[in-house]
Amino acid sequence: MKVSSYIKKSISRQFIALICFFILLFLFGAGALTGIQEKINARFIADRQKIINKRALTEEIELHFNDALFNIRGYLAFDNEELREQVYREEKEIIILLKQFKKVAETEKDQEMYKKMVLFDEYVFEDAFPKAVSYYETGNTDEVKAIANNGATSRINNFKQELTAYKKYIDGKLNGLVTKLESTNSKLQFYFFAYILFLLTIIYIIGRMMVFKIGKPLTDFAAAADEIAKGEDVEIKVEAKRQDELGILSVAFSKMYRKIQDKEQDLLAQNEELIAQQDELHAQQSELEEVLEKVKQNEESLYRRNRLINGLSHSFNKQHLLKSIVVNMSELIGADRGIIVVTEEDAFAAFGVSDKGAKQFRTFLYEGMYFRLEEEKGPFIIKKELGISEKGYHEEKGYVYDLYIPIFSSANSIAAVMMFSRFSDRFSEFQMDEFSALAKQIGLSLDTIQLFEETERAKELNQDILNNVQEGIQLISIKGEILQVNAQFCEMFGQSKNWQDFVGKSWDAWTKQVEAAIGGDSSLLAYIENALQNQSEQSFTYQFEKTGKVIKVYAEDLYRDEVVKIGTVFVYRDITKEYEVDKMKSEFVSTVSHELRTPLASILGFTELLINRELKKERQQKYLSTIYGEANRLTLLINDFLDVQRMEAGKQTYEKKYLEVIPILKKIVDHQKVIAVKHQITIKTELNEAVILGDKLKIEQAFTNIIGNAIKYSPKGGNIHISIYEEAESINISVQDEGLGIPEGEIDKLFAKFYRVDNSDRRKIGGTGLGLAIVQEIVNAHGGKIIVQSQLGEGSNFTLSFPKVSMGVQTAHNEEDIREKNSYHIMVIEDDYSLAQLITQELKDFGFQVHYYKSGQAALTAIKESLPDAIVLDIMLEEDDMNGWDMMKHLKQQQKTKDIPIVISTALDEKEKGYALGARDYLVKPYRTSELSRTIMQTLLKTGKKGQILIPHSENNETNNAK
Amino acid sequence: MKRILIAEDEEILRMLIMDTLEEEEYIVDEAQDGEEALELLQKYQYDLLILDYMMPIVTGIEVIEKVRHDMKDQQQKILMLSAKSQSFEQEKVLNAGADYFMAKPFSPLALLAKVEEIFNES
Repeated sequence: MKVSSYIKKSISRQFIALICFFILLFLFGAGALTGIQEKINARFIADRQKIINKRALTEEIELHFNDALFNIRGYLAFDNEELREQVYREEKEIIILLKQFKKVAETEKDQEMYKKMVLFDEYVFEDAFPKAVSYYETGNTDEVKAIANNGATSRINNFKQELTAYKKYIDGKLNGLVTKLESTNSKLQFYFFAYILFLLTIIYIIGRMMVFKIGKPLTDFAAAADEIAKGEDVEIKVEAKRQDELGILSVAFSKMYRKIQDKEQDLLAQNEELIAQQDELHAQQSELEEVLEKVKQNEESLYRRNRLINGLSHSFNKQHLLKSIVVNMSELIGADRGIIVVTEEDAFAAFGVSDKGAKQFRTFLYEGMYFRLEEEKGPFIIKKELGISEKGYHEEKGYVYDLYIPIFSSANSIAAVMMFSRFSDRFSEFQMDEFSALAKQIGLSLDTIQLFEETERAKELNQDILNNVQEGIQLISIKGEILQVNAQFCEMFGQSKNWQDFVGKSWDAWTKQVEAAIGGDSSLLAYIENALQNQSEQSFTYQFEKTGKVIKVYAEDLYRDEVVKIGTVFVYRDITKEYEVDKMKSEFVSTVSHELRTPLASILGFTELLINRELKKERQQKYLSTIYGEANRLTLLINDFLDVQRMEAGKQTYEKKYLEVIPILKKIVDHQKVIAVKHQITIKTELNEAVILGDKLKIEQAFTNIIGNAIKYSPKGGNIHISIYEEAESINISVQDEGLGIPEGEIDKLFAKFYRVDNSDRRKIGGTGLGLAIVQEIVNAHGGKIIVQSQLGEGSNFTLSFPKVSMGVQTAHNEEDIREKNSYHIMVIEDDYSLAQLITQELKDFGFQVHYYKSGQAALTAIKESLPDAIVLDIMLEEDDMNGWDMMKHLKQQQKTKDIPIVISTALDEKEKGYALGARDYLVKPYRTSELSRTIMQTLLKTGKKGQILIPHSENNETNNAK
Repeated sequence: MKRILIAEDEEILRMLIMDTLEEEEYIVDEAQDGEEALELLQKYQYDLLILDYMMPIVTGIEVIEKVRHDMKDQQQKILMLSAKSQSFEQEKVLNAGADYFMAKPFSPLALLAKVEEIFNES
């Protein structure tokens, strides 16, 4: 059955089934009992009701009968119609009631009663009463009374007794009913208790079933499991028949148990296996330990190797590197001694080797092992017997193994040699390979150091070059940081020469520093910023506020491979001098123009007046002479200006003659007196004559300037003393004024072109600033000197001195003088023999001493012995050791020879080059030899040989020019 | 009678200006340099100053400054002569306080005309 199996499968279901059964039973029982109870009650109530009905009816009938009788009596008594009607009504009522009673009459007694009632009713209403009525109506009262006495009354009394008896019977019935009910109820109670007992029994049975079916097996299981847990064997009862959980459990449990047992056996077997394996493992472990040891050792040796290699890569110091190599390699190899020698240099490092030993090794390296190393191209070992010094206290023979390892550079030549000695055991093949590999590594490292050193040198050289340059150089990256600077730049802007300060600084950092150095002016930095961004080609001129220095800055972008812009190079050139010179020049120009305008103004002005006004003759004369004078002044000014120009160009020539100084001075003084009204000029001399050799105009000019200055610079007037005297071999002309004087520091600058002493007292006393420069030039050209002495506020003294000459035989022609002079030494360098002869002869005719040489080299050698006075040089010399240009350059560079005038005589027409190199004259072949001699003489004259007088009349013929 | 002071270090030019002006009944004083000019200014009242730019000891500009700052009460006109004729130089002179400017070389008759003009204005 499905349901049954369903239930049987689960204990809980079973339990539920039982409970349900129980509940059903209970409900059923309870329901039944309750039903019965109800039924009994209902029956009782019904019966009771019936009886009560009966009684009620009976009573009502009785009542109605009584009423009827009463009413009959009344009617009969009182002859009340009403009552008679009432009787009829009563009769109807009684009939109805009787019908009702008939319905409820069940028992015999009831029916008996009914019959009696009916009889009575009939008697009364169908017999007695109508008779009565009729007798009454007829007036037969006696008849009526007869009826009554004939039995009506007894009948009525019978009937009453019957009724009463019936009522008693009914009451009795009623009581009987109650009693019945009571007994039934108690019976019922009894059944109820019984039922409860029954249920309790059922419960008990169920409980037992539970215990039996569930509890016990569980307990058994628990005990069994416990036993198993303890590890003891157990018998498990299998309730295969049971389908519920316990059944399953028992089956499963037993299966489990069986499995456990099986597994246990398996495990035991495995355990034995494992023990066997464990033994094996133990064996392996000890093997591994051995291996580990070996690995450790390898690790250590790798570590040493690593140290070596680290040392190789980290060190840029050669000596460090070598030392680390030799030490680490020795450790690695297990050598007792070692040495490494770098072949090209004398660098070495040794371990366990004395200096003497190291030296010995190095010395003899090239005599033996080196060549073998080259041949072997790899490491090799030499076994040697130990020497006495190495044996120590050992008496027996010992051996040492010398391991030679060559290190090759990238060019495959031997860069270094290492040698290690081991006293103990030999080196294995494996080790040798290893050492080769290491040697390669070392070789690379040495190469790297080499490169590094070269790079460093190159870098230093570059920086030295940069620092050698006069300009300040700065390289700025695109972002504005400084990539490189040179010393000059730092000097210009930083406070120190430590240019590391600037390199690498960011834009903000270094611009701040620079700004501080130049005092806050931002125009320079603005230019730099602009140049960085815009690639503007313009240069920028900047003047330092603090120092007044003027620099010119220009920028050039710097590209790598013409594509990548690295940054911008800024060059700062100190143009202070040029600037100053420019400034002075422009000042000069403006002064000159000013000076020129004044006489022009007066010339124009007076002329205008002459033209436009009617003037008196005297007035006219006055104006005209003023105009004349001013025109002259203008001329002088212009001449001065031109003089300066000439002197600048170095083209000034002097015609020297004998001059009497005193008359010249007198003339000048007279001239000046006209203008110098405030001054008293006096000339004092004790000499009768003072003769010098000079260019008249120029000497006059010099004196004029000096005396003019004396007048100009004593604006308040005073005395001007001029004295002429002899001193040693010179004639001195001294001009003393009582004027403003010159500040001490300015005396040196006095003779500089355009220079004028400028301070609040002077306010640019007119003048071009050229006067003294011109004087200096003139004096120098005449071999003289100027000495200045001055006291600020008191006056100045200018003394010119010229070499004295004595007027011997006066010859008008200077050329003749020279011609008589024969001790001028001319050197002719010309490889064309015939031409050389020609030139030599020519020059000799003029009285020069001539030596000629075919080659530049020979000439130079001769020059070393004695310096010539002039050189005639042919550029085209065929000897290929030195050509003419080189020769010239050489001569001009040497201090001794740079002033010797050189006349170039050559077929090559390169005049500019010649003059540029410093030639005095340049003659292009063919030319007339007389031209050469003339040129030579002029040259010699011009030079005047640096202040040496050309003594025209040789009092002693040997007098030479070596002064 | 208008009083004029001429300050010019070049004697010839001084003579030129003096001669130019004397025709016209002006009273003309001359000074050789700025210092002298200032001394004279202290002593006398002038209606017009004709100053040269470049003078020793005290320059023309300095004279102007002195006059304009220290002697503000004297409202004389100032005419400056200068060899520097560029416009910025002119501006400099006028800014310093001069009223008129003439470049050298100047035409004396033009100068005269200018002086008359000045006196007519005031």
